[in-house]
Order: sequence, then structure tokens, then C-alpha cells
Amino acid sequence: MSQLELRDIRKTYTGALDETLKGINIDIASGEFLTLVGPSGCGKSTLMNSIAGLESITGGSIVVNGRDISGMEPKDRDIAMVFQSYALYPTMSVRENIAFGLKIRGMPKEEIRQEVERVADLLQISPLLDKKPARLSGGQQQRVAMGRALARRPKIYLFDEPLSNLDAKLRVEMRTEIKKLHQRLRTTIVYVTHDQIEAMTLADRIAVLKDGELQQLGTPKEVYDTPENLFVASFMGSPSMSFIEVAIERSEAGLSVTVEGSDGRTLALPVPAYLESWAGKRVVLGIRPEHISQPDDQKTDHPMVTSGRFKVEVTEPTGPDVLAVIRLNDTDVQCRLDAEHPVNWGEEADLMFDMRKVVFFDPESEKRIRPQ
Amino acid sequence: MTDVIRTGFRPSRIAIYGVLLLACLVYLIPLIVMLITSFKTPMDIRTGNLLALPTDWTVVGWTKAWSEACTGVQCNGVSGYFWNSFKMTVPAVLISTLLGAFNGYVLSKWKFKGSDLMFGMLLFGCFVPFQVVLLPMAATLGKLGLANTTAGLVLVHVIYGVAFTTLFFRNYYVAIPDALVKAARLDGAGFFTIFFRILLPMSTPIFMVSLIWQFTQIWNDFLFGVVFASGDSQPITVALNNLVNTSTGVKEYNVDMAAAMIAALPTLVVYIVAGKYFIRGLTAGSVKG
Repeated sequence: MSQLELRDIRKTYTGALDETLKGINIDIASGEFLTLVGPSGCGKSTLMNSIAGLESITGGSIVVNGRDISGMEPKDRDIAMVFQSYALYPTMSVRENIAFGLKIRGMPKEEIRQEVERVADLLQISPLLDKKPARLSGGQQQRVAMGRALARRPKIYLFDEPLSNLDAKLRVEMRTEIKKLHQRLRTTIVYVTHDQIEAMTLADRIAVLKDGELQQLGTPKEVYDTPENLFVASFMGSPSMSFIEVAIERSEAGLSVTVEGSDGRTLALPVPAYLESWAGKRVVLGIRPEHISQPDDQKTDHPMVTSGRFKVEVTEPTGPDVLAVIRLNDTDVQCRLDAEHPVNWGEEADLMFDMRKVVFFDPESEKRIRPQ
Repeated sequence: MTDVIRTGFRPSRIAIYGVLLLACLVYLIPLIVMLITSFKTPMDIRTGNLLALPTDWTVVGWTKAWSEACTGVQCNGVSGYFWNSFKMTVPAVLISTLLGAFNGYVLSKWKFKGSDLMFGMLLFGCFVPFQVVLLPMAATLGKLGLANTTAGLVLVHVIYGVAFTTLFFRNYYVAIPDALVKAARLDGAGFFTIFFRILLPMSTPIFMVSLIWQFTQIWNDFLFGVVFASGDSQPITVALNNLVNTSTGVKEYNVDMAAAMIAALPTLVVYIVAGKYFIRGLTAGSVKG
């Protein structure tokens, strides 16, 4: 059980002009599952390597249980890491792979044997112990890599995109297993991924990074429902949020914005009262696909829900639902429609806009406009 | 049906195999001539055809070449020089290969400022002609007190070989993912543990490449042998030259040929034993590197 604090972590590679990490501050509670997510090149792997001690930092400190470990060698930090490429030692058997770290730390033979068996049981890899990594499937190698990390019972586990080399089906299975494992062991985990679904499903909290800066830190729900800025909003969620440039209008009925379909027909959408000070100004409306659907009688009575008729440009059936694209204010907007009531592309459909969960952004700063 | 296909294929197949067979023969004829000549009597050689099989098979040429033939003033055969070559080649091959492996490890997995430049400069070593270093090397060996000794020859070959072996190992290790080294570091392994426990056990193919390459180079070297060794410490290549050039009485081609075969055998054996790794190691390095 270990708590990890990242205090103002900075990193500039020698010869580089820009900082790779520009002052990252994250507190990770004991037993917490934190995912670092962001596009490639955002610095998430650098941050991970810095925590492990594989790369030095140029500023800030890394504190574990109140003790600054920033200057320590990787082997003294008591941190284990699972790599994207698994990084199993190819000349050693699975048993030797798991035992390697224990052997180097001088654990007695009998204890090593017990520990290897405990881990093998936990991950159900006992029958594989005497095989070489090359003879294992991708999923099995992944388990062994996790076993190697678990065997040492380190203070903190780091996962560096551990599932990205697996095929889609196996990835989902292993994702569930990692989650189960965490729920059982309640270990502190920092998990790097570029897959936002992985981030959403696994994490207690998500840290979204871009260009070496922390964009938002929060629970999956917070990050999904109330993204701090346009980047987080577009990065989290698949298919992603649609952004429509609109002007806030004031009328007797309250505040609203007007959207125009591809055939010139317009619809006024109600917006919440906290946008009062933005009346007459332009904002960016962020609307997720699930906020536009076929009319549902139970919801249409709500004052923040309204309906209109729009031409469907493209449909993409996914199985449980159909993703449709409509054009509003010359922008493609995704809608999530019921698969049981098919809509054909090129035809018009009645669509219900649920404005209760939409978000608004300042077009200048790209930050979300918060309710006062 | 099958007949049609067969007749359609026959001429081109015959042509292909014919050409291949011819190429094979061209390459093998010198070896065949050497082999059959070494088993002939001098009389047979003078009167018979070059390509004809011996009328009387005899190993006299071989025994004479091994223990009686004259190399200059001494007439003890090439056996002593054969062992000289081993005493020079085995340590030189092993030392240069191990040093190369170590250099390759550092230059690929523990890069430091200027390490790529250093590797680039080391590569120049592959292109320096032997003749260029003869004089400075002679002076150096003299100062070290290693002139005319086997140890001196070993040193020369190690220095010359390290450029090649480093190139081999560095390119091999570059293809091995860095994550492996990172994982080992987190497991608590240090610089040397990672080298000896993780990387070296993975190096069999490239080890074989380095071994064969270095063995062939060093065993077959003549120039360094003739310049930096004298008398009793000379390698077999120099002895062979002396044997062939010693002219007392009738030229004994069977002895010359047998001696040449003896000089060539070890490299052949090494290639046959480790050859399958050679191709594997070379392609593994080139495809990924």
C-alpha cells in the first residue's frame, strides 16, 4: 500500500528546445488505479519512465510514502513495470523470468519457489512455468509479464500500454482481468494508454495529458461529462463529441442557440441559464452522439429537450445502435440512433436533442464555460 | 496432362541444372586438383594428366608435409607452425569477439554523449588496409617487448578485429528492444548482470558469425604473420609460403598440395560446424538492423 506524489515534474531532453514535461502535479492515493492518457508524443511514456527511474527528471520530485525517490536508481525504488512489448527474457523459462528479480535481490531459493508458485496460481500460468516465452501466445506472454511484476510485491506498479499488442478480443479479456486483479489486490497502479476506452473502463481517476501538460485529472465520469477544455472533450469518448459554433440568443423563453441543417431549416435549442453573460457572443457547443437520438416520449416534455427534422447524411450500424451523421451549421454532427428503428441515409428523420448534458466552450481560450 | 507439363518443363529444367552444375564444377576444380594431386606420387604427377585420379593412392605427400618437408633451412614439416597458428588464432578470436560483444552492448544499450560518433569512427577501422599500419605497429610491438612473439600477433589481430566484431554485435543488439534492458534494471540487475545474464545468452547467432569471420581472417592472414613473427613463432600461412618457395631438387607438388590442404582445413571445419548460424546471424542482423 503506497501513495505516490508527483510534484511539479519537469523534463527537458538534452538538445531539445521544448520541455517534454511542463510541471506535472498528481497525487495518487494508496491502492488507486490511475490512467495516464493522451495522444502519442504527449509525454505520458516519459512520465512513466521518470517514475520508474529509467529517465532522469530536470525538475520537481517524485515522492513515495513521503520519501523523495527522484534521485534513486531504478532498482532501489521498488517499482515494477509491465511493458508494451512484454520484455520477457527470451533465453529464460517462464519460471526463471519471474524469479529473476527475486534472485538478484538475494531471496532464499525456497521462498523464490513459493513466490513463483503463488504468482503462477494467481495468474493461472502454472502449466507454462517451464516453457520459453517464444512458445507462448501473446496473451500468455502478457500474463507472464504481469507475473514478473507481481512477484516482487513492489510498492507501485506501472503499466506501459500493456494491451496494445493484443488482438481486439483478447484485449477486452485482459482488460477485465487487470481490473479484477486490481480489485483483489488493491495495489497502487499507474497505467499508460492511448486508448480512451481502456482509460475509462479501468481507472479510478484519469489524467489527460497533452504536450507535456496535465489537461484534466478526475474520475472517468468527470472527465467524460465535464471535460475541462476542447482537447479533453474531443479525446475522450468514441465516437467523439461534435463541436458546433453557435451564438447565444436571448428571448422571452430564455437562452437558446440556433442550428441550421443542410437544407436551410433551423432549430432553436434551449441552453442553460448560466450562459447569461455570454448572450450575444459566440461559443462552441459540445454535443455527444448519445445526446441526439430518436424522440422518446418520456423525455420530450423536459424543457431542455427539443426535437427537429434533419437530413441524415451517413449511417454506420454498429450492432446495438446506428451512428448517423447530420450537418448542423456546416459541421458534421454524430448522433446515436436506435438500431430497431432504422433510418436510411439521404432521408429525413425526427431527432431529439437532449441539452441537459451538453457542454459549452469559450472559442478563444478553448476552456469549458463553467456554471457559476 | 502430366506428360504435357513434363515436356514443357524439361528443357528449361535441364538448362538450369546444367548451368548450376557447371558453376559448381568451376568452383570445385581447384579443390579437386589439390586433393587428387596430394595423394599422387611425384612420378604420377610428372607423367599423368592434371585431372586424372592417382594411379597409386599414397599419403606420403601428407606425412611429408606434416613432419618432414623443408621450410627454409629447417626440415620438420608444417606441424609446428600449424600449432603456432592455433596458439595465435584461438586467443585472438575469443578476445576480439568478447571485446566486440561488450563494445556493442555499450554502444547500443548505454548510449552516451558522442557514442554514435565513436561507433562511426570505429567503423573506419574496417577500412584501414593492413599495409598502412605495418610500420607503426612494428614500432609499438617493439616498445611493448612483444616483437616476434605470438602474444604480439594476438594483440595485432585483436586490435584489427575489434572494429568488425563491434560492428557485428552493435547491429545485433540494436535490434533487441530496449525494454528488455529497462525490465532488467527494474528487476535490480546492474550493468554487468544485464550483459552476462540477459544479452550474452541471446547472442549465439551473432557469436557464431563473429567466430567464423574472425577465425577465417586471422587464420588466413599472411602479411601480419610474415612481418611480426619470425622463426619458431610463424603461423602456418608463412610456413606454407616458405615450403613452396624452398627449392631443393625436384618440385614435390604432392607435398605442396597436402601442406596447402592442411593450412586450409581448420577454417573449413569451423565453417561446416558453425556455418548454419553464419547465414542465420547475418540475415537476422541485416533484416532488423
